[in-house]
Amino acid sequence: MSTQTPCSGPILEIDKLSISFFSRSRENAAVSDFSLSIRSGEAVGLVGESGCGKSTVALGIMQDLGQNGRIVGGSIKFKGCDLQAMSATELRKIRGNEIAMIYQEPMASLNPAMRVGEQLIEVPMIHDTVSRSEAIRRAREVLIDVKLPDPERILRSYPHQISGGQQQRIVIAMALMSKPDLLILDEPTTALDVTVEAAVVDLVRELGAKYGTSMLFISHNLGLILETCDQVCVMYSGEAVERGSVEDVFDAMRHPYTQALFRSIPLPDADKISRPLVAIPGNFPLPHERPPGCNFGPRCTYFEPGNCDSHQIPMASVTNQTAHTTRCVRHDAIDWEADVASDATGSQAKVGDVVLRIDDLKKYYETASNSLFSRDNKKVIKANETLSFEARESETLAIVGESGCGKSTFAKVLTGLESATGGKIYFDERSIEKIPIATRDKETVGQIQMVFQNPFDTLNPSMSVGRQIIRALEVFAVGSNDKDRRHKMLELLDLVKLPRSFAERMPRQLSGGQKQRVGIARAFAGGARVVVADEPVSALDVSVQAAVTDLLMEIQREQKTTLLFISHDLSIVRYLSDRVMVMYLGHVVELGDTNQVFAPPYHPYTEALLSAVPIADTSVEKNHIVLDGEIPSAINPPSGCPFQTRCHWKQAVQDNLCEHEVPPIRDLAPGHQVKCHLSTEKFAEMTPVIRLAGE
Amino acid sequence: MEPLSWGTIVGLILWRLLPVWLALAILLSVSAFYKRRLGLYGKLYDSPIGLFGFSLVAFWVFVGLFGAFDLIITHDPLTQISGMKNKPPGTAVASASSDDFGYYLLGGDNLARDVFSRVVKGAWIVIQIAPLATLFAFMVGITLGLPAGYFGRRLDVALSFLSNLILAFPVILLFYLLVTPEVIATGLPSYMATVLFIFPIIFSAILLNSRFHTRPKLRTPLLVVVLGLFLWLYTSLISEPGSAIQILPKFVDLFDISGGVLVVFVSVVFVNAPTVFRIVRSLALDIKTRDYVAAAQTRGEGSWYIMLWEILPNARGPLIVDFCLRIGYTIILLGTLGFFGLGLPPESPDWGTTINGGRKLLSIYLHPALPPAFALLSLVLGLNLLADGLREESLKD
Repeated sequence: MSTQTPCSGPILEIDKLSISFFSRSRENAAVSDFSLSIRSGEAVGLVGESGCGKSTVALGIMQDLGQNGRIVGGSIKFKGCDLQAMSATELRKIRGNEIAMIYQEPMASLNPAMRVGEQLIEVPMIHDTVSRSEAIRRAREVLIDVKLPDPERILRSYPHQISGGQQQRIVIAMALMSKPDLLILDEPTTALDVTVEAAVVDLVRELGAKYGTSMLFISHNLGLILETCDQVCVMYSGEAVERGSVEDVFDAMRHPYTQALFRSIPLPDADKISRPLVAIPGNFPLPHERPPGCNFGPRCTYFEPGNCDSHQIPMASVTNQTAHTTRCVRHDAIDWEADVASDATGSQAKVGDVVLRIDDLKKYYETASNSLFSRDNKKVIKANETLSFEARESETLAIVGESGCGKSTFAKVLTGLESATGGKIYFDERSIEKIPIATRDKETVGQIQMVFQNPFDTLNPSMSVGRQIIRALEVFAVGSNDKDRRHKMLELLDLVKLPRSFAERMPRQLSGGQKQRVGIARAFAGGARVVVADEPVSALDVSVQAAVTDLLMEIQREQKTTLLFISHDLSIVRYLSDRVMVMYLGHVVELGDTNQVFAPPYHPYTEALLSAVPIADTSVEKNHIVLDGEIPSAINPPSGCPFQTRCHWKQAVQDNLCEHEVPPIRDLAPGHQVKCHLSTEKFAEMTPVIRLAGE
Repeated sequence: MEPLSWGTIVGLILWRLLPVWLALAILLSVSAFYKRRLGLYGKLYDSPIGLFGFSLVAFWVFVGLFGAFDLIITHDPLTQISGMKNKPPGTAVASASSDDFGYYLLGGDNLARDVFSRVVKGAWIVIQIAPLATLFAFMVGITLGLPAGYFGRRLDVALSFLSNLILAFPVILLFYLLVTPEVIATGLPSYMATVLFIFPIIFSAILLNSRFHTRPKLRTPLLVVVLGLFLWLYTSLISEPGSAIQILPKFVDLFDISGGVLVVFVSVVFVNAPTVFRIVRSLALDIKTRDYVAAAQTRGEGSWYIMLWEILPNARGPLIVDFCLRIGYTIILLGTLGFFGLGLPPESPDWGTTINGGRKLLSIYLHPALPPAFALLSLVLGLNLLADGLREESLKD
């Protein structure tokens, strides 16, 4: 259809775009002076923290800004035609046909009341007015393209009958049905697990090459951008701050914000002792609080009063590189190669005695399809199977695994919200696995606490920060009277580096990182000795992640806490943990020191996980391992080894042993356990997944 | 004396309502001035629809209040003045002495009573009963809905079944059953009241205990005072000389509620509580999955603390909106009850009973039935608009 368009030029050309949202009281500039161009077949990444305006740009391209939003300046040209000048009918022809968009939540993009097939054939039937049978044929074709097994069954399914990864593939298939010229992907993999994400990213890249589709890839994940894009544009507070090829921006960044961003994410060479992360100081400015001059000025280490804050700063080409532009007036004056001024004084805390010993822990759930009537139709979900490990004082033990691996169930059993089906949990030599939280003594409850994942959910929105902490103190019977407890509460705020005046604030007045700090303060109210941190930073922006991670480790050092750090992000795990435990479908598949787990020999699942995690470092080479299929359901686990359905080492084991027998736990090295049938020779053959160039 | 013209009638009514206008003006201007500090109520002043609804409601509340102090009314609502039977609006009172107001502003009803004064006095009854009865319904609905949603399983199945059962029962039939002399003689309404009215006590007891059990020094006296007060009120409320339940001796019995009002309360609570139960239950189901609830669980909080202090405050938005709407329904229900001659005594000036009284001669005399009907309509409309405004504003940040 694209051949009929009279206009010509690059696929997309955005010139000095400004978008504002109007509320009752004021105009909020969401995007200002934003320029970008995408040539045919090119993939451009748009990266930035939440609230920086990257999604607004995407909506601006689709001309779908809602009632309050308006383009107040600049132009968006699609193949040379000005999108703003188009009528609603013309736009409708372009949307979904020539420009397609993929959103973050696959379930929200699919109509839950329509079969997948019906939704897919709608696209060609509306845009190309083809016959129904032709549309079905095309739908089947595109489903094969997105590598979905059994297309016939998928076409007949409703969206809720297929998994999240498959849903996102359907959404991609739907976007590709009309063979669009431009595909906008707005955080397409954020809601997916890492191994699934890797497969989807792979697919997107492959299809982009096959169809020659131009792509605008919006993400907060620098690693993903590196893997998918040719060009990248970094946004901060509504402006593009740096633009150029991926190599230029990643290796020779010329804007302080980009540099700060890279310093705050855990790259393979980061180390919590020698090269700690550097958090960006201060907070992201709200649209009406933007400073004069450079928006990043107040948080920038290179800030020069009088120069940086005197006038609006335009995008300028970096010397000798015309395709690389930056919005920094001092980009020629800054020494970009200078090392990080590290104030790291932290020393490795000495690991103490065993605090927590888990011995053969089992947690099964029973479900019945109908609890009232069928008595014998019960199914057993094995959420935790034979967990055994120890955790010592001042130690960080990372628990790694994707959704459904049983890590949250373990946290519930440990905190006493559920009681174990079998096995033992020894806390200071006392077994606590059968004691529900209601009958645990206050001391034990206060000593085993949790930090939760979602900062927007972790605090009760209708109680002030101070009262929530005081409540925790009351429950743990800390302090003898109100004055005591108030004093202790203020000390806890000091501990997490929040101003004392925050005690009176309501949670909605706090940013995500600040809320997470309050959550940490609350967890330490009862003098916690074991803290389970359930993905405590995964929902935060990268620049805030570093600060919260560092805080958590600092408190850990001071209080000699045992930290159980649950995460799926191997980069951060490598950075902060002493030992790592990898879980899959309720089983511990690998357990060992961080160095042991991150170097061969690996468990095949660990190997795949390592390969799947996107790393924002151009010097890193990875073995490319993409897992087939989805994580099996815990209700219906595979026979034998839980990982055998997706394992690519399976052929290396004789007699199909993997399908028949759960592998035994083997010691590969002192303290390094693996649950796998592979022979010692095969383990020795393994090569490192991640290699730094030059090594 | 000549009858008044329509213009004079309107003018005189507006003049009689002067205290209401003054109170409204003060309330609205003061609130508008401090609206940024008043939370959700202050935000109402940004929504024209919500503000209009609130003004209507406030108008009738003030009419009721001042009416109770005999400020607005022109005649006693029960006094019959001979010669005024079914007289049109603006008729002069023939036998008026110099102290009395000389006219029936909105005419006389079929028992020669002043329609205007009755509407004003009726407002007081409606304003008193409807919010209080709705509050009781909420107490019952919340006290049962929270555990049903939070614990789930069998308790949820049982309570939901019960609420569906009640919702399936024809409401009007239930009312007729409740006022049948044979049923009253068995003491059934009194026993139902005994059960339903105990919920606020249970509610406040667990509310306070769960919050303050960590501080026994504060908790114990607080509970003794509050519960003592509530129990006294409760026993005064349910103990009725001549009815099935007489616990309190006469001298400590604070007030006697006539059997009719008790029936009104019981039926309102009985009909509304299941709906409130379902709303609270579904809100609890949603909110219990939040991390702050999990955080409370991991620090070993009791279930009731979590339900009443972690879940309930965060369900307040939809509940406040529903409360406004439900007061409206209760007012209509009161009207319906009055219209059927159930509940309140026949001489009561409440709007439902008055409309019913005027109904019989409606084809000849419109004026006795129209004013209370209009009052009912405007108050319920105001409550609905207020609920709309609150909903709209609570969604905005």
